[in-house]
Amino acid sequence: MELNINGARLQVEADAAMPLLWVLRDLLQMTGTKFGCGIAACGACTVRIDGKAVRSCVTPVGGVGGKAIQTIEGLGTATRPHPLQTAWIAEQVPQCGYCQSGMLMAAAALLERKPKPSDADIDEAMTNICRCGTYQRVRLAIKRAARTKA
Amino acid sequence: MKRRAWLLGTTAGAGALLVGWVAMPQRSRLGLASMMAAGEGDIALNGWIKILPDSRVVLAMPRSEMGQGVHTALPQLAAEELDVPLSRVQIEQAGWDAIYGNVAMLEGNLPFHPLEAEREDGFGRVKAGRWLVCKLARELGLNATGGSSSVADAWDVVRFAAAAARACLVGAASLQWKLPAEDLRVAGGVVSHPSGLSLTYGELARSASATPPGSVVLKDRSQWRVIGQPAPRLDLPGKVNGTARFGLDVRVPGMRFAALRLAPMLGGEPGRIDAQRALAMPGVQRVVTLPAYGGSTAGVAVVADSFWRAQQAAQAVDVDWIRAPSAVDTQQIDASLRDAVVRRDGYRFYERGNVEQPAPAGSRTIEAWYSAPYLAHATLEPMNATARVSDGRVEVWAPTQVPQMCRAAAARVVGVPEDHVDLHVTLLGGGFGRRLEVDYVAQAVRVAMDVPGVPVQLIWPREEDMRHDFYRPMHVARLRAQVSATGEPVALEIKSAGDAISPRWMERGLPSLSGPIDLPDKTASEGLFDQPYGFPRQRMEHVFTHSGVPVGFWRSVGHSHNAFFTESFIDELAEQLQRDPVEFRRLLLKDAPRHRAVLDLAAERAGWGTRPPAPGRALGVALHESFGSVVAQVAEVSIDRGLPRVHRVVCALDCGTVVNPQIVAQQMEGAVIFGLTAALYGRIDIRDGVVQQRNFPDYPMLTLPAAPTVETYIVASERAPAGVGEPGVPPIAPAVANALFALTKQRHRSLPFAL
Repeated sequence: MELNINGARLQVEADAAMPLLWVLRDLLQMTGTKFGCGIAACGACTVRIDGKAVRSCVTPVGGVGGKAIQTIEGLGTATRPHPLQTAWIAEQVPQCGYCQSGMLMAAAALLERKPKPSDADIDEAMTNICRCGTYQRVRLAIKRAARTKA
Repeated sequence: MKRRAWLLGTTAGAGALLVGWVAMPQRSRLGLASMMAAGEGDIALNGWIKILPDSRVVLAMPRSEMGQGVHTALPQLAAEELDVPLSRVQIEQAGWDAIYGNVAMLEGNLPFHPLEAEREDGFGRVKAGRWLVCKLARELGLNATGGSSSVADAWDVVRFAAAAARACLVGAASLQWKLPAEDLRVAGGVVSHPSGLSLTYGELARSASATPPGSVVLKDRSQWRVIGQPAPRLDLPGKVNGTARFGLDVRVPGMRFAALRLAPMLGGEPGRIDAQRALAMPGVQRVVTLPAYGGSTAGVAVVADSFWRAQQAAQAVDVDWIRAPSAVDTQQIDASLRDAVVRRDGYRFYERGNVEQPAPAGSRTIEAWYSAPYLAHATLEPMNATARVSDGRVEVWAPTQVPQMCRAAAARVVGVPEDHVDLHVTLLGGGFGRRLEVDYVAQAVRVAMDVPGVPVQLIWPREEDMRHDFYRPMHVARLRAQVSATGEPVALEIKSAGDAISPRWMERGLPSLSGPIDLPDKTASEGLFDQPYGFPRQRMEHVFTHSGVPVGFWRSVGHSHNAFFTESFIDELAEQLQRDPVEFRRLLLKDAPRHRAVLDLAAERAGWGTRPPAPGRALGVALHESFGSVVAQVAEVSIDRGLPRVHRVVCALDCGTVVNPQIVAQQMEGAVIFGLTAALYGRIDIRDGVVQQRNFPDYPMLTLPAAPTVETYIVASERAPAGVGEPGVPPIAPAVANALFALTKQRHRSLPFAL
């Protein structure tokens, strides 16, 4: 099967029922997308599919062929970081960091939909669990990125 | 002769040299250059500091990064004393020598009352106890990250090692140029002389390695440029681009994945196993039976070419589970703890005056019972470890707070000496005490033994992680206070009951050090016996129980529930005496100026008594000392659709000298969310030996929409650094409970809050 991940076309041999999360992590060695709960409850595995934030632990790979998949590895580059990544550093968001890939992908999908999100928009979009409790800095960083992007 | 004369110059200048036996610990932990791993072109100057050819500095890192910022704070100490920018310091995993052991963590477990420990005069028992434990800890060299002790432990040692390395480098230049050391300048990793001579650390490193440091002088705090600065964390770039490597991200060529499935009942084990169906599934390689390692429950693991296939196959293994001989039940435990408080004698952690003395005429007795449930850690990265066993050698990659204990556990499982185990510590996707256990490492190694030469990553599904944790133990306490007719505090008596953690942990991870009888475990009574409040008569005792539930250290440990008990009860007293909660505390803190200053700062910033909260909202306050730091929090709370809603938390603290105020603020913010999650939702229920909560929907976490804003204010201090990772947790539950009382006149005496 062919997958379009971060703009590259990749061939994988996988059972169509295999969740995208494990295709990324175990078959493609793309470990930036994390496993947290396996039931779409925590958001650590969030990726973007055709721009939308999707929980990859419950997304069968068979359904995403031909769609544009973006993972944390494709959000920005070292030389051209995404405005969210820059804002995340400026606000010193992460602690342990394990949930942050998913947070960033959810935030990226939000900003694409709502370039100037209100607090209510942020509340609605950011349902990911952060066990270290970085939420208030996540909110500040999203607002900062929205300002710099505009 | 000449060499000595030049070197003596290095002792001149500002700063004080620690003398006598106090200085010995630092020097004894300086270590040898040979203790650091040799790399291409790098030169070690002692057991902590290496210099690279381009003058970058490498610091040996014995502590695990689990979010608390230690991989930035410790390099800040080294950068300061070596006069290099923080960006020029990198870290590498420390080796296994005793110098890397965490002395402060063990010292922190001594059951001394802060009033005794603070006194300079007399109190030989405290001094002797500390001296002995520190000496033992240095000999033992237990490398562990816990007890909010990393900076406190590194404070003298890392600065001393860095200053010693700097002295060697300056000494080498002094010898080479035949110029007195005190005339040399050091900046940005370059040693220079006003005449124009200059050499970089990289150029000097080789000769510096043969130059003794002489007397080592630490910088005076007026000269600090890195310590105390809100330096950006060094670990964040990798955490925003997906390259940070946690345990689950270890990838070794040819590796396989194993899924764990433990007996559903705590202490159960597999009986008859039929693995035929599982083995026939695609990609499946092996089914391994696991005994109860490291105090965990027994079970099976399935090895396959992906975790997804391994997990499906693990569910397809047909197992007849054998029940444990006795089934634990949390309702029964709760009842037995209350019974223990009433009927059994406890260990007296503190006694002052005589609480049995008849109360003055007209005085009142106020009594209340409090309780807190079992809690799971729920680190977002589930338990996991990667292992390869071949030809009598073991290689392990583990997200762990106790690398040495993991190494010992791996060696025990395979039956090889510890030096046949190579252990790599990864980043931790949360620790909170769960990764002070070695069960998952022993299991991974056992699985790897069955596929020799193949690296295997064992992963716990979330459901196993939640149902087979080492839980924060359930505790109950009876608090009783006497107040005089005029409202003066007379006596405070607290009797609590619950399982001891430390001896159970020792049995699991350090069997050789574990004793036949349990010594009194301070963690049970911390936050109860060691209060700052000046009740003339006090007695705090704890009844140790043995409930059969696997229990472990949970962020802020005993303080996490005991602060809820005491700080809610203090509010009850204030209410009964019709006093303002802040004023009442101030009255009880006459002899505790440090606590009073923290309380005052929080109250002032929160507008306590000066700016009334918005209609429908109320403020609650709590003050608590833990891990050497004093934290006060004021929570602003309302009731939203029948549930408590915390809008704002003002947090003031005194944590001694601050190494990085940005990290301190991060930790306070995170601790509030961690403590609030527990106070609002956290409970583990066990019925017939089976943990009822399985995943996040049953064990909810606070999420962004419900998160309060946390403001952090730090009291300036010149004391040595104290804990930061945990002390923000204890006050939030009582602060919110006290605000809820102000709103509803209903007192919450058990957690989580039920409205």
